[in-house]
Amino acid sequence: MIASFDFNSLPKQRVPRLVISPRRIVGDLLSKGWIENAIPFLALLLVVGGILASTDGYFDAANLRNLSQYAADGGLVMLALLIVVAVGGIDLSVGSNFAMSAFVALLCFHILELPVPVVLLATLATGMSIGVANGVIAGLLGCGALLTTLGTMITVRGLYTLLSQAWLVDISKSARLDDWWDWVGFEKVLTMPVGFWVLVVVAASVFVLFRQTRFGWHILAVGSNRKAARHGGIGVRRTIFVSYVMAGALVGLSAFLFAARQNAISADTGIGMEFFVLTALVVGLGGFVPGRGAVIPALIGFATIYILNNYLINAGYRGDFVLLSMGAIIIVILGIDVKFRKNRHRLLASTYLDPVAFEPAAVQGMEGMMPTDAPPRLAAAEIIASGQVDGPEDVLLDADGNIYCGTRDGRLLKIAAPDHTEVSVFARIGGRPLGLAFDREGRIVVCVAGMGLVRVSTDGAVDLLTDQTARSVFSVQDDTVIRMADDLDIAPDGTIYFTDATKRYDIESWGLDLLEGRPNGRLLAYDPATRRTRTVCDNLRFPNGVCLTHDGRHLLVASTWDCSIMIFDLARLSDGPRVFLGGLPGYPDNVNRSSDGGYWVALAGMRNPVFDEAMRHPGLRRRMTRRVPPTNWLFGNLNIGGVLKIDGRGEIVEALWDAPDGPLYAITSMREHGGALYLGGVSNDKIGRLKLEGTDRTWNGPDSYWGKGR
Amino acid sequence: MMPFFRSRRQQPPTMTLEGMLGPNGRLDDAAGMKIAAPDALCVAADGKLLVSSGARVLALGAWDGAPETFATFDAPVTALCQGAGGLVAIGLAGGRLAVRDGSGRPVAGWTLPEGRVASVVDCAFTSGDELVLVDCGYGHGDNLLAQAAWDDQPRGQLVSLHRSGETRAIASGLHCPMGVCLDAADGLLVSLLEWASIVDGTGKVRQAGYPGYLGRLRRTSGGFALACLSRRDPLIEFLKTERAFVAAMKAKIEPRHWIAPRANPEFSHDFPIELGATRLYGEVKPWAPSFSYGLLIEMDAGLMPVGSAQSRANGQRHAICDVAVWKGDLIAVSRASGEILNLGAAA
Repeated sequence: MIASFDFNSLPKQRVPRLVISPRRIVGDLLSKGWIENAIPFLALLLVVGGILASTDGYFDAANLRNLSQYAADGGLVMLALLIVVAVGGIDLSVGSNFAMSAFVALLCFHILELPVPVVLLATLATGMSIGVANGVIAGLLGCGALLTTLGTMITVRGLYTLLSQAWLVDISKSARLDDWWDWVGFEKVLTMPVGFWVLVVVAASVFVLFRQTRFGWHILAVGSNRKAARHGGIGVRRTIFVSYVMAGALVGLSAFLFAARQNAISADTGIGMEFFVLTALVVGLGGFVPGRGAVIPALIGFATIYILNNYLINAGYRGDFVLLSMGAIIIVILGIDVKFRKNRHRLLASTYLDPVAFEPAAVQGMEGMMPTDAPPRLAAAEIIASGQVDGPEDVLLDADGNIYCGTRDGRLLKIAAPDHTEVSVFARIGGRPLGLAFDREGRIVVCVAGMGLVRVSTDGAVDLLTDQTARSVFSVQDDTVIRMADDLDIAPDGTIYFTDATKRYDIESWGLDLLEGRPNGRLLAYDPATRRTRTVCDNLRFPNGVCLTHDGRHLLVASTWDCSIMIFDLARLSDGPRVFLGGLPGYPDNVNRSSDGGYWVALAGMRNPVFDEAMRHPGLRRRMTRRVPPTNWLFGNLNIGGVLKIDGRGEIVEALWDAPDGPLYAITSMREHGGALYLGGVSNDKIGRLKLEGTDRTWNGPDSYWGKGR
Repeated sequence: MMPFFRSRRQQPPTMTLEGMLGPNGRLDDAAGMKIAAPDALCVAADGKLLVSSGARVLALGAWDGAPETFATFDAPVTALCQGAGGLVAIGLAGGRLAVRDGSGRPVAGWTLPEGRVASVVDCAFTSGDELVLVDCGYGHGDNLLAQAAWDDQPRGQLVSLHRSGETRAIASGLHCPMGVCLDAADGLLVSLLEWASIVDGTGKVRQAGYPGYLGRLRRTSGGFALACLSRRDPLIEFLKTERAFVAAMKAKIEPRHWIAPRANPEFSHDFPIELGATRLYGEVKPWAPSFSYGLLIEMDAGLMPVGSAQSRANGQRHAICDVAVWKGDLIAVSRASGEILNLGAAA
């Protein structure tokens, strides 16, 4: 029964180049982390759009420059508050600190007539000193942040009022001029004010702080869970203290820019600032969220509030009306944002599954071989290792007859020949080991769902070969990671061909892939020489078992949901697959060589007319997953399975079934070895062995691939 | 505004198999006696238990005794009831009726006009001269459980038959009535299979939302016992709203393969299953969903459940179709396992 098919005469398997679905795009977008900021960003776009529609020239260059000049003060204070909020605190004293630092800057410049760099240092020191006070009381002494900063807010405001009243007239009478002072206050660099560039640099620094630095991560850890951070070895009090000091320094910097530009202070300087920036922060972050150092969303929130406020004031509305409007708009934005964040996962859950109608070819070539047509031959199978294995999705036999199989808890077991009673752990891999194959050196290459492709040496050492491939060009979701490596086979040149059964679901939820019915899987190839992984063919419908044909020139790939076996020409992989065998009576899993030049195909489950009909109704399946508990979802019948024997031309010549309630069901793998067939099942705790009559008792898999004299 | 509120209140909440109806193995643990093709039960005036077995009615004097043939017919027996003077009414496939005396001999009268009803799935004497017959609307050969689930048309009826042969429609337009019994005030109570509810003689709902597809209803000393042919299944209830799919299924697929409540917990390669029913280590989990189930609900006089006997997904004593109190014991019929079951002292 040597292979005698003509590849070119086989029908082409239709493989879509691109899977386009609005629901999938929405689902993929909703699963992105950055979508959390969608509402603040949309709010900003609406504000900008509204202003564009109702004004003329608001966003021209001159006004943008003007806006950016004044935005620096508030922006820097907002970033200061972001740091404090990220560490799990709050700083109500930023307004008072701002006024006090601005006063010190003006005092140092106009009254003490110090050089500008010294003025800058003095202003920063003032801001930091108030930060130190906050940090000592709230951080080191552990008093509440709200009470502490309320106290410093009132105290510093009182001190500021006293001092500013004493020096206000002298400051306003000063006529000191300084080029550096004016440069900071009024000069432009690359057409934008100096203050704007300071804001950009500080924002970038805070961004890097939270993204890349150890201290930034400590801040986020303390803000997220103070107790866990302490248990993790982080100096919680020190982190809080330093955060307040950093915030004080930023407020000082902001005040320096303000002083240089305004050259004056008044009794109401900084009043209400804490609430303005807090509002901006809350709008940007979608609430008061400790442990989240999101600079860009915070800046988006600040821009929204700042531009809206500026627009309303410039439009000439009364102050109380501006406040009223701002409050109402902010409540609406926050309300929508909070609802969106709260329900995003539900929205994602209800949109992620994206079923499509499809119809596998009608069952064919099974006349007289269906389970009801003949006595169950697998009922005569001997049961091996009953209760000692756990989900042997694939079984692999070496030339000596030892059996290897994976388990649900990530181990690779060895069942020793010849009596197959002694079960030992060969390797601890992790993940969910599925398909197995020997390479030329006798090492076992394993497809591990949740990990990728793993190689286990003869001494049990585990090496990860690959866990990712190139990203699809048009995918919204990052699909580089191999989510469900399923089965593999190794070509004579050493290239490992393996399937990633689905890019959208994990091993725990693979059933959803059937309900979706879309081509979510792919065939990959790993070249051990270059250690590179490439995608051979994308958009296959649950590609599962892989088997190199006896001539070593073609590759059989089972498409489980299509109930078919595809075939690739290894010399012309880019031509895509053809249909080797379609219209199977069940869902094919692994495919392996037989001793007579044919192949064994494991059927993990059986098709039935009702489920085939349900596959024509995608809306039904979508509604079902929303309204019916998962345990009650209509599904393919995995309680019965079998094995098909096909010849080298792809015609079914024999079917093996167990009794309907027999122990060998959901058969996912079978290997012929020494005149017997060994059967494994992904949800079984036993392995079956069926003696085959009239087969070559010297034949085994490793010799078939690599020869006896290897 | 009113329809807005009303729409949310139309469907009574479905009872779940929790609390009073919590899972148990009483049916599996009960003593059983094999009977070929059992369906209906009743207690004769002389204290013997009559049980149908295909086209025969057997009489059992004691639980551990051997059953004797009470009467034999030319069609499968579909209903049994006992009335005043020791009369025994026997429903037969094809919508026919036979009435025998206490020793199994035919009695005069009680002639049911041919074609008056499609079936007699249950009956009850309301007096010495009147018998109420339950016609579920489907013939004996129809796959009742499969068809009723997907049939909106209420084709069942309650018919009164006088000893003289005169018939009178008591209620029509009932959706698959399966059992009848009299309450304490001699009012009629009728159990509806698919609508999982109990209605009175006028069709008014007395209690709804039972967690099973209902079989026959019987009086007990403490209230009622309700045999359920299967438990209600969320998938089947959901598919009742999927009209396009159901229409396609009915048009293209044989009823044997339909998704529907089933009487037998059998495996077959061409039946659909639910995701949670997938075997693990070869075993069906007792808590797995299943289209067949053994459920007998004990209820108080107000038709509220107070207890249950169950055979879960991994059990065999499914499709409880009749129940009777005999010598103080609760006796049930399991159509799936072909047994009558003794559940011990009735509540």
